[in-house]
Amino acid sequence: MSRSRREFLTAAGASGAALLAGCQAEPVDQETPTPTATEADGAGTTAGSPTPSGADTLVVATYPPFVNAPSTSPGAWLKRRFEEQFDATLVYQTPESELNYYLERAIQGVEFEADVYVGLNTGQLIDADDRRGEGQFTDPLFAEAGDVEGMDRLRDGLQFDPRNRAVPFDTGYISLVWNATMDGGEFVAPETFEALTESEYEGDLIAQNPASSSTGEAFMLHTIKEYGPDGFLDYWDRLQANGVTVLGNWTDSYTAYTNEEAPMVVSYSTDQVFAAAEDQDLQKHQIRFLNDQAYANPEGMARFADTDAPGLAGEFMSFMLQPEIQAGIAQRNVAFPAIQDAPLPEDYSRYAQEPPEPVTFTYDELQGNVDEWTDQWARRFAGG
Amino acid sequence: MDRSVGAALRRRVSRARRTARRVGRAVRRPGGADVLERRALPLLAVGTALLLTVLFYYPVATVLVESVREAGRLTFGPLVDVLTDEFYVVRVFGFTAWQAFLSTLASVALGLPGAWVLARFDFRGRETLKSLTMVPFVLPSVMVAVGFYATFGASGTLNDALGALGVGGVDLLPSLGAIIVAHAFYNAPLVTRVVTASWESVDAGAVETARSLGASPRRAFRDVVLPQLLPAVLMGATLTFVFTFASFPIVLALGGFQYATVEVFIYSAVQQLDYAEAAALAAVESAVSLTLTALYLRYERRQTAERRDVRPLPRERLVPESWRSAAAWTRERLVSRLAVAGYAAVVVVVFLGPILSMIYASLTVDGQFTLSAYRFLLRRQVSGAAFQVRPLPAVLNSLAFGVATLAVALPMGVSMAVLTTRRFRGRVALDALSMAPLAVSGIVVGLGLLRGLVFGVEAFGYRFSASGPAAIVAAHAVAAYPFVVRNVSPGLDGLDRTLVESARSLGASRVRALLDVELPLVWPGVVAGAAFAFALSVGEFDATVILAEGGNVYTMPVAVERYIGRRLGPATAMGTVLLAVTAASFVVIERVGGGFRG
Repeated sequence: MSRSRREFLTAAGASGAALLAGCQAEPVDQETPTPTATEADGAGTTAGSPTPSGADTLVVATYPPFVNAPSTSPGAWLKRRFEEQFDATLVYQTPESELNYYLERAIQGVEFEADVYVGLNTGQLIDADDRRGEGQFTDPLFAEAGDVEGMDRLRDGLQFDPRNRAVPFDTGYISLVWNATMDGGEFVAPETFEALTESEYEGDLIAQNPASSSTGEAFMLHTIKEYGPDGFLDYWDRLQANGVTVLGNWTDSYTAYTNEEAPMVVSYSTDQVFAAAEDQDLQKHQIRFLNDQAYANPEGMARFADTDAPGLAGEFMSFMLQPEIQAGIAQRNVAFPAIQDAPLPEDYSRYAQEPPEPVTFTYDELQGNVDEWTDQWARRFAGG
Repeated sequence: MDRSVGAALRRRVSRARRTARRVGRAVRRPGGADVLERRALPLLAVGTALLLTVLFYYPVATVLVESVREAGRLTFGPLVDVLTDEFYVVRVFGFTAWQAFLSTLASVALGLPGAWVLARFDFRGRETLKSLTMVPFVLPSVMVAVGFYATFGASGTLNDALGALGVGGVDLLPSLGAIIVAHAFYNAPLVTRVVTASWESVDAGAVETARSLGASPRRAFRDVVLPQLLPAVLMGATLTFVFTFASFPIVLALGGFQYATVEVFIYSAVQQLDYAEAAALAAVESAVSLTLTALYLRYERRQTAERRDVRPLPRERLVPESWRSAAAWTRERLVSRLAVAGYAAVVVVVFLGPILSMIYASLTVDGQFTLSAYRFLLRRQVSGAAFQVRPLPAVLNSLAFGVATLAVALPMGVSMAVLTTRRFRGRVALDALSMAPLAVSGIVVGLGLLRGLVFGVEAFGYRFSASGPAAIVAAHAVAAYPFVVRNVSPGLDGLDRTLVESARSLGASRVRALLDVELPLVWPGVVAGAAFAFALSVGEFDATVILAEGGNVYTMPVAVERYIGRRLGPATAMGTVLLAVTAASFVVIERVGGGFRG
C-alpha cells in the first residue's frame, strides 16, 4: 500500500464534493493522494466522524447489528470505553456484505481503510483463505495475532483458526427454542434428533436455509456431526417428510415462530435474555439442547495484514479480551464471553443457557467441505 | 368528473401555433438557446444511453461475462454446466416459471377489477385511492412477511375472524399459495395502475360511434374498449411475470426453501463466492426475462391504433344520486355494485390486512398496547451515535432521492419513449435494450454495481469509481425510467401524427411540439410513470446499500432492515413511518401531476 491511508482519512474531514459528484478518479500508484474532489464532510462516510488531527485512528470493520441493533449492541459502548483507555479514535465500518466486501476489494486490488475485522466465523475465514490467488488478491488478508494479552484466559475449544490469526471474543450456541404454551400448554420439545422425526412432532419445527443464514448453517452442520457426511441427507429427508419448514433467514423464521406457526425454531440458547428483559412469557422461550448438545459458533476478530496501525490494532484486540470488556460485550451482544472469568451479573447466567456438550467443526474439517455439503443439502431439499 | 380535454387540447394546440410562429421567427436568426432546444431530445437520448452503459450494461456485463469465461478463456463452461443440469433446468427453472405464471394469473385477476372500479366509477376519495394503489410497491419484503404472518398465519387475524364465524381455520403458511398471494399483493397494484391509465385514455367517441351503430354495451366493450386495454393488461402481466420470475425474499420468507426459485440459488452462489455458477444462472434468467419483454414489445408495436383528440369515457357515480329510491337500482346497476362491494372485501383482506397487521405489530407487545417502538425511534433520533441509522435522515434521504430520481427518470423516460415511437430499423431491439433494467436480477445488478462502480475501473493510471448520492440517484433513475417509457410510449405511439406535424410545420421545435401537443395527450401515462419511478426509488434497497457502502446515506427501507431484531416493534414502527411518508408523497405526486391537464 503506497499511500498513507491515515493521511487520507485525516484529509477526509469531508467527502462532500466527491459524494455530490458521485464519482472519483484516484491515481492508482502515487506517493501522496491528490485530493481531486477529496472526501468531504463527516456526514458522508461511515469512516467519517471527523478525526481530530494528531489523535490516532482505528478503523474497525464489523457486521451492521454489532453497532446498530434495535435492542442492544456493543458498538457504541465499546467505542466509548476504547477511546477512554487509549488516546485514539475508533471508527466503525459496517458493510452490508460483511467480510465479502473486503474479499472483493482484495481481489479487485482496491485498497480499504479497515484495520481490524470483528465478527469473523470459521466459514468466513475459510472463504478468505480459499479466495487467495484470485485477481490481485495475493498477499494474506489477515495477519497473525501475535501477542494478545488475555489469550491465556480463553475458554477451551473456542479457538477456531489453526494459523492463529482470528482470536475469539465471544461465542453463541445454536439450539432449539420452543413454546410450552402451544397445544393447549401440552407441548414439550423432543430431546433427541431422532425424536424430532417422529410423527408426534409433525410440522412443528422451523429451521433456516444454510446458504443464507448462519443459524441454518450451524443446524445443518450439527446434523452432519450427528449423522455424518453420508447420513445427514437421509436424516433431512426424514425431517422433510415430517414437515420441517426451512425459511430464508433467522428473522423470517423467528417472525413465523412468534406468530405461533410452529412450536419450535432453530435459534440461540441466549433467547431468554431478551424475553426476560422485555418481560415476555418465558414459557414461550424455552431452550432445548438436542442430544444434550448445541452447535457452537465462536466469533473472532483479526487484524488486516496491510493495516498501517498494527500496534493500535493489537492493543484493540487485547482490550477486547479484558474481563470487564468481555462481560460488557457478552451482555450487549447477547452471547457468551470468550474468556473464563468475565464478571457477569447473576441473572445473566440464569437466562443464557450453555449446553452440557458444545459441538463444532474445526477449520480443517470444514475447509473444502462446507460448500459441498450446503450444495448437496440444497439440491436434496429443494428438489423434494 | 368529466374533464374537457378536447377544449384543453385545442387551447394548447393554438398556443403551440402561437409559440411556433414565435419560434419560427426566431429560427431565421440562429440563436444558441434555439439550437439547444432542437438538440434537446437527441442529447437526452445520448445521456440516457451513457447512463445506461455506465450504471447498467457495464456492471452487469462484468458479472455475466463469468458465465462464459473460465481462466480468461471463452469456454461457455459454466453456462453449459447449468443448461445440462437436470436439477437446474427442470426443478429450478421449471418451478420458477410455474410459480411466476400462477403469480401473474393471480395478480391480473386481482388487479383488473381494481382498474375497472377506478376507471369507470366516480366516488369520493377516488383520486386518493388511485394514488394509494402504489403503496404495496414500496413496502420492504420483510414487512410484508410480518404482515402476512399476522394476517394469514395459523393464529392470524383471518383465522380469528373465521373462528368467530364458526368456520374452521386455514393454514396458509408457509406454502406456494402464500407466495402467490404475496406476489399478487405486490403486483396487482401494478396491473391496476397501468390498465387504469390506459382505460382513461380510451376515446369515448369511438364507443359512442359503436353504440350508435347498434352495438350493445357489451359488444362495444368487447370490440372497442378491450382491444385498447389489452396492451396494458399484457404489459402488467409481462412485468409481473418478469418480477416474480426473479423473486427472492418473499419466496424464502413465505414459502420456505422447498419452493426455492432461481434467484435463491443465485444468491446462494454469490454467498459462497461461486460467481461462475451465479453468473450462469443469472444469464439464463435474464435471457428468459428479456425474451418475454421483447415479445411483449413486438406485440405492443402491432397494436397501436392512431388516435386523435381523446375524450375519456365518462365515469359513473358509484352511489347514484337518488340512491334511496328503488328505481335508481336497476338490475344491471345492482349487479355491478355488488361486484364492487365483493371486490372491496377482497381488497380489505389481501391489501389492508397485511398493512394493518404491520401497523398493529408496531403498537403492541404480546397483545398489550404500547408506544415503546415509537419511543425507540425518537430515542435513536435524539441520542443515536453518528454511525447508527436514525429515522429522520432516513426519511429526508428517501424523499430527496425520490424527487431527484423523478427529475432524472422523467426526461430520460419521455425522450426514450419519443425516440422509440419513431419508425426506424432496429427499433424493437433498442426498445428491448432500454427495458433491460426491468428484466435483470437485482442481485446481479447489485453485484455488478459493487464490482464495476464502487471498486471502480483502472484506466490511464487512475481508478475511476462512483458511489454516494449522485450514483444512487443515477442507479434509481436507470431502474425507474423504463416504467416511464412503458407508461408513456403506447399513448405516444397511438397519437395522431398530423397533430405533431402541423405544429412542426408551423415552426415549432420537436421539444416544443412534445411539450405542448403530445405530452398533454398522454399525461395520465406520464403521471403513472412518475408514481412508479418515485415508488421504485423509495422502495429500492440493494443498489442503495451497495452504493452508500462506506457512507451513511441511508434510506427508509435501509432503516427498516437495520431495526430488525428479536422484537418486531422498531422495524414495524419504521415500516409504518415509511408507509405514511410514501402514501403522502403519492397523493402529492398525483395531485400536482393531475394539475397539468388544466
